[in-house]
Amino acid sequence: MQDILLNLWISHKTQIVFVIESFLKATIFLNGIMAFTALLTLGERKVSALMQDRIGPNRASIFGLTLGGLFHPIADGIKLLTKEDFIPEKADKVFFTIAPIIGLVSVLTCFAFIPFGNHIEILGHKVRLLIADIDSSVFMIMAISSMAIYSPFMGGYFSGNNFAFLGAMRAAAQMISYESVIGLSLIPMLIIYSSASMSEIVVKQGNLLMAFIPAWGIFLQPLSFLIFLTAAVAENKRTPFDVVEGESEIVGYFIEYSSMRFGAFMFAEFVEIILVSMLSVTFFLGGWQVPYLSENGFNFPFSSAISIPPIIVSLLQVASFAIKTALFSVFLLIVRWTLPRMRFDQIMSFCWKFLLPLALANLFITALILRYLGTVRL
Amino acid sequence: MIKVKNIKIRELNIWERIYIPEIIRGLGVTLRHLFSNLLNPSSIPTISYPEEKVLLPGHAKERSRHRIKLRKDGTPKCVACMLCATICPAKCIHIEAGETENFVEKYPKKFDIDLSRCVMCGLCVEACPEDAIIMDTEEIPGGAKDRNASYGKDGLYATKEQLFEKKREISTFGAANRLANEFLLSKERGNRND
Repeated sequence: MQDILLNLWISHKTQIVFVIESFLKATIFLNGIMAFTALLTLGERKVSALMQDRIGPNRASIFGLTLGGLFHPIADGIKLLTKEDFIPEKADKVFFTIAPIIGLVSVLTCFAFIPFGNHIEILGHKVRLLIADIDSSVFMIMAISSMAIYSPFMGGYFSGNNFAFLGAMRAAAQMISYESVIGLSLIPMLIIYSSASMSEIVVKQGNLLMAFIPAWGIFLQPLSFLIFLTAAVAENKRTPFDVVEGESEIVGYFIEYSSMRFGAFMFAEFVEIILVSMLSVTFFLGGWQVPYLSENGFNFPFSSAISIPPIIVSLLQVASFAIKTALFSVFLLIVRWTLPRMRFDQIMSFCWKFLLPLALANLFITALILRYLGTVRL
Repeated sequence: MIKVKNIKIRELNIWERIYIPEIIRGLGVTLRHLFSNLLNPSSIPTISYPEEKVLLPGHAKERSRHRIKLRKDGTPKCVACMLCATICPAKCIHIEAGETENFVEKYPKKFDIDLSRCVMCGLCVEACPEDAIIMDTEEIPGGAKDRNASYGKDGLYATKEQLFEKKREISTFGAANRLANEFLLSKERGNRND
């Protein structure tokens, strides 16, 4: 028995190490995202409360300890789990059941391609901080995240409720429209960094423009950033593009859902916020890059360098990614609670008559400039 | 002839049409509120109710379960004038007047408050000329501190006995009350003279 295991270890060492490594990375990264999502649900309620001069949730307590409402996500989870899991008589049981699962899975899968750090050395083994490193990861993310449309559509269509159906129709129209804009707003980035691999795009954002500006996407393509941000918020079905739910209006595609099935929809929405923030950070805000930090330490443009051990550099980069993502998520929450809702026809005409031509023009001009400059050495 | 009022809607100027500057302005407003409330939480007007209480304007400063104040001799201060039952917007006070040999002559034979209908407005306290009914027991009907909550629906129907039994401190406020107390006093004196 021992011999067999030893032989297996010797003959398949790289594969076994790869499996263990991937499993650990996925576990840690996804659990981190889950914890952050739970905090984000609390954060949304707190941020909205503070903006509207309220206190927000602060009552859930464990042995009289409230910690400013930190236990509310747990209380919410328990509440959702203990509610009745109701399936309406008119609903299609199979599709009704799998709709929230599709939403959650398609969103969570996208995190496999997001580089959350450069690499870290553990026991002399170089671990790349990225779950799946494939060359076409941008396109993979686009493909998988467009699967998310099936979740609201199936949920609403098979609920057997007219309001849910209306929400589903709106969701389908809106998400498919803005999907194209998202794709078109990212293509200039692919041209500039001449790569469709997200890890490579982030590595190239570590360079400097004119020797002192970091080559982040937001400095190279500010318009693309705005278009992507708008389209991503719309894709996320949040205010100002929330006619799909219209909280005070039609409730939306999940009107018939209760218990943890509803929780899954809610959770998917918040995970999507994190996904949007991570994508924005990866493409436009330098990903895990810290300005002027290279593998050996800080190299400031006009002054001396500070050398830092590589393990701390790796941790700094991961921390940089986490902080950027957190700040951007909070920014998305703030945007949500600031803007008024758009009408549905406004949303559609805004997409097809304004954003799409703008994204195309931006792509065209970027391509033209790059053609005359020759390839940018990034 | 129908009058038609023409309202001129101001056209958006170019700065507002771009939309992004206006979004940034809106973000400025919300962020100002966010940070001012974050850094100075005491500026939020919310009152955490059971822990901190605010005295409300008017005579019904607190608004919890009602009670009826008693005189020195344990009789209710209420003279069954029906003002509280008249002003009550929920029509939840039911009084039947009875005769007493006391100086004020009237007393409530029956005084029921249907707390399941009560809206806790405090108008009965405002209306009472004798300062007899008051809402200061600190028990919210059906709440955690409510002694009668375990009775369910019956606990929400306060009869005379329940209203009397809270806080047996003696009150000397009110015109009819003074008369009643004087009557008591003279009776005591009369007894002593005998």
